[in-house]
Amino acid sequence: MGEVEKVFLSGLHEKLVEDKVIDESQLEPDFAKEIVKYGGKDVMTCLQCGNCTGVCPISLKIDYKTRIIIKYCQFGLKTLTLGTQWVCATCYRCYEHCPADINPAEVMIALRHIAIREGVIPPFIKVAATNLVKYGQSVKPDLEVEKIRKELELEDVPSRGAEYAKVIREINVLIHAVGYDKLIGIEDEVKA
Amino acid sequence: MSSSESLEENPAQKTPERESGPEEPRVGVFVCHCGSNIAGTVDVEKVRETAERLPGVVVAKGNKYTCSDLGQDEIIKAIKENDVNRVVVAACSPRMHEPTFRNCIQQAGLNPYLLQMVNLREQCSWVHAQQKEEATRKAIDLVRMGVAKASRLVPLEAREVPVEQASLVIGGGVAGIQAALDMAQMGFKVYLVESEPSIGGRMAQLDKTFPTGDCAICILAPKMVDVARHPNITLMAYSEVEDVQGFIGNFDIKVRRKSRFVIEGKCVGCGVCADVCPVKVDNKFDLGYGKRKAIYVPFPQAVPLKYTIDKDNCIYFKNGKCKACIKACTNNAIDHEMADEVVDLKVGTIIVATGYDTYVPMKRGVYKYWEYPNVITGLELERLINASGPTGGHLIRPSDGESPRRVAFIQCVGSRNKKIGNNYCSRVCCMYAIKNAQIVKEHEPETKISVYYNDIRAFGKGFEELYHRVREEYSVEFIRGRPAKLTEDPETKSITIRAEETLLNKITEREFDLVVLSTGLLPSEGSKRIGKTLALSLSPDGFFMEAHPKLRPVDTAMDGIYLAGCAQGPKDIPDSVAQAKAAAASAASVMFGKKVKIEPLTAAVDEELCVACGLCVEMCPYRAPELYEGEKGTKARIIEALCHGCGTCVAACPQKAIIANQFTDDQITSEIVSALEDVGNGGDKTKEMAKKPAAEEEVS
Repeated sequence: MGEVEKVFLSGLHEKLVEDKVIDESQLEPDFAKEIVKYGGKDVMTCLQCGNCTGVCPISLKIDYKTRIIIKYCQFGLKTLTLGTQWVCATCYRCYEHCPADINPAEVMIALRHIAIREGVIPPFIKVAATNLVKYGQSVKPDLEVEKIRKELELEDVPSRGAEYAKVIREINVLIHAVGYDKLIGIEDEVKA
Repeated sequence: MSSSESLEENPAQKTPERESGPEEPRVGVFVCHCGSNIAGTVDVEKVRETAERLPGVVVAKGNKYTCSDLGQDEIIKAIKENDVNRVVVAACSPRMHEPTFRNCIQQAGLNPYLLQMVNLREQCSWVHAQQKEEATRKAIDLVRMGVAKASRLVPLEAREVPVEQASLVIGGGVAGIQAALDMAQMGFKVYLVESEPSIGGRMAQLDKTFPTGDCAICILAPKMVDVARHPNITLMAYSEVEDVQGFIGNFDIKVRRKSRFVIEGKCVGCGVCADVCPVKVDNKFDLGYGKRKAIYVPFPQAVPLKYTIDKDNCIYFKNGKCKACIKACTNNAIDHEMADEVVDLKVGTIIVATGYDTYVPMKRGVYKYWEYPNVITGLELERLINASGPTGGHLIRPSDGESPRRVAFIQCVGSRNKKIGNNYCSRVCCMYAIKNAQIVKEHEPETKISVYYNDIRAFGKGFEELYHRVREEYSVEFIRGRPAKLTEDPETKSITIRAEETLLNKITEREFDLVVLSTGLLPSEGSKRIGKTLALSLSPDGFFMEAHPKLRPVDTAMDGIYLAGCAQGPKDIPDSVAQAKAAAASAASVMFGKKVKIEPLTAAVDEELCVACGLCVEMCPYRAPELYEGEKGTKARIIEALCHGCGTCVAACPQKAIIANQFTDDQITSEIVSALEDVGNGGDKTKEMAKKPAAEEEVS
C-alpha cells in the first residue's frame, strides 16, 4: 500500500468491504423454511417493529439485536446468523411482547440447531458437551467447591458418588447412540 | 331467495301458461356453441346427436349463441312445434342466463321452473381446454344428467309479498344519521334507534376531522338537527332494539324505550334541573375527564335536547329524598315513577349502523395505561383538545394540569396484534394521530412531538399530503419502532419510553410529559346482541360480514338487512358516510319496488311425516323453519321469504319430511343414476332406472 492509499484508505478499507452490495448468491431463499423445520415459527410474518430488541436484556448490554437476526432470517443471510444466536438467554421476553406471535427465542434455538449441523460450533459448546460425557453435567465440578463442602461437613456432590459412574456410563451410551458426539466432534471423549 | 325486480312490465306474464302436470315428459335439448367458447373444445354436434337419442327427448338443437334473440326464438319455435314440456339448455353457468331462459320458456307458455341448465362452459370447456375428447364425453354425461332431472321437474310458482314502506336504522352515529336522512328524503318512513340519550355517536366526541381539519361536531350537528326535524323520521334515542321477527319487506320490531324519568314531550332542555342537582359524577361522554350532574345531557349540542336522569347516581332513587329537580322544573317534565315502554314497529328493511368501541389497553399491559396518569388514549386526547371538552380545548397532562412540552404517540395499540387476536389494521389510528399532532402543535408550537409507528398508512384522499405537512411544517418526528418499556419518574410523573429505533438500529430511551396510545377499533359492545337478534354472520375480525366483499359490500346474507359504517369494519368518516348512502339506496330500491318476488326454490315440509322434533329450526342459518300449532298438532313449517334453499334442514330432518323444491331426492338420485351410466349402452338403462323412483312415488 502506497503512502497516498494509506492516507485515504487506512481504516476506511474495512468499512468499504463491509458495506459492499450483497450478492444474490449469498442468500438462501429457503432459510425461513429450514428454521420451521428445526422448530421455529415462520419468521416471514415478522413486521420488524423492534419490540423484541427493546425488551431483550441481552440487547441492552451487547451489540446484538433480536430484530436484526430475524431480518437476516427473512432475507436468507444464513452466514450472518450463525454464531450470534448463542447469546440469547431464552428468557422468552420477546415472545411475551411479539405482536406477530413469532417467538424469537425459539427461532434462536432453531438457529443453534442449524449452526451445529453446519459445523459452526463455538468452543464453549464443545467444552460443555465434553463435561457432559465426563461428569454427567455440562458444568465442570469445581474442586474448590468440593473442598469447602468437606469443611462444612456436607455430603459429596453426586458426581463423586460411586453410583454416579453408572449414570455417566448411561449418558455416554445415549450420546453415542443419537450421534451427538459426532455432531459436536467429541467422539474421542465418549466411552461407549 | 328473492329479488326485488318487478314482474309487472314483463310481457311473458301475459301468455297464459299451459298445463304441464303429470303428462309424459317431452324434453327439448338446446346445446349452445357459445361461439368457440364451448364448440372450440367440445364436439357439440356429437353432444346434440347423443342427446337426441336419450329417452324422453323429442327435439335436440344446436345454436351458435342460444342466449341471443335468434337462439331464444328457436327455443320458442321448437317448444311449439314439438309440444315440448321440459327444457334443457346446455350452455353457461345458471348464474349467467338462467333468468333469461326462464323468461324465454315462459313466453312459449311453459312454467319457468321447468328449465334445467347444464353448464358446459365454466364447468367443462373452459377447464378442460387441453382434453377435447374427454371434455366431449363429460359434456355428454352432463347433458344426460340434465335430461334425467328435467324429466322430473315440476312446475313451481313464484310468490310476491308486499314491502312495508318503512325502514329501521339501528345506531345513531354519523352512518345511521346519513342513512336515515337519505331514506327519509326519498319519502320513506324511518325509525332511528339509538341506545345513548343523544344521537351523534363517536363523531360527536371528536375534535377535528382528518385530513381537512373540519370541526367534527360543527359539521355533524346540522345533520343531527335535520334528523330531529324531518317529518319522515321518528327518532328513538335512549332505546334498544329488543326483538326482530319476520323477513324482507315484513319485519316486526320491538323497541324498548328506556325511561329517562323526564317526559320528552314536556322537557324543553333549559337545564334548570341540572343547575340545582347536587350530584356530580364523571361524564362518560368526556371519558371521565369532565363532570356532569345526575340529571344531564351528555353534551351541549345533544339531539334530542332532552334531559335524562342517571338512576344509579340520583339521590331520589337511593333514599326517596332531594327532588330538587322537580321543584326547579317549570314544565313539570320530571317523573321519577316513569317505566320503560316497549313499542312495536313494522318495517320493510333494516340498516345496521352499530359503530365501534375503542380498544381498552390491558390492565397490566406494557403501556401502563391504568398505572400512569400521563398515559392516555387517542379518544381521551380528542376530548382534551376539544373546545367544548372538559378543559375548553387546552391540552393538559392529567397528573398536574400543566401543558405538556414533549408528547409521544404510540401507534397500533390493540390493532395488528396477533397476541390479542386483533390481526386487522384499524385504518384510522395513523391519521388521527397525525391530525392530533398537528392540532397540538397549533395550540402550543413549542411542543416536541414524536410518533412511534410500525407503518404509516396514509391511503385516503389528502392523507399523504397531511402526513407530509406535519413532518415538514410542524416538524413532528416519526420513529419507526414499537416501544418496549414505559417507566414513570416518581417525582415529575414524566414517562421514559425505551424502544428500538429500527431505522437507526439503536435502542433509545426518551422522556415525555404525555404519552398518547393510538388505540384501535373494535365492534361495539351492543353490536353482539343486535347480531344475534338479526342472525347476522361475523367476519373473523368480529365485525359484521357483508354478502360479498367486493360486489355486495353493504348487503348481508339476510335479505332486506344492510350494513353501514364501522359495524362492517373500521372506517373513517368519509367511508362511513359513503357506505351509509349506499345502504340507504339499497334499502330504498327494495321499498320502491313495493313488492318482492320470493323464489319458489325453497324447502317445504310434508306435515304427514313431520314429528316436530325442531331440528330444522336449530340447524337453519336463516331462521326460516318454525314450529306452529296446526290442525294436525305441532308441525314445522318453512317461512318461504326467509328460506335460501340451502338444503341444510333437508339433510338434517331425521324423518325425511322436508324436501327442497327443484332439488328433491328423486331429482338428484335420477341425476346420479344417469351420471353413472356408460355412454355406449346408456339409453335403455337410464330409462329403466329413471322409472323406478317414479313408481315408488306413486305408491307413497
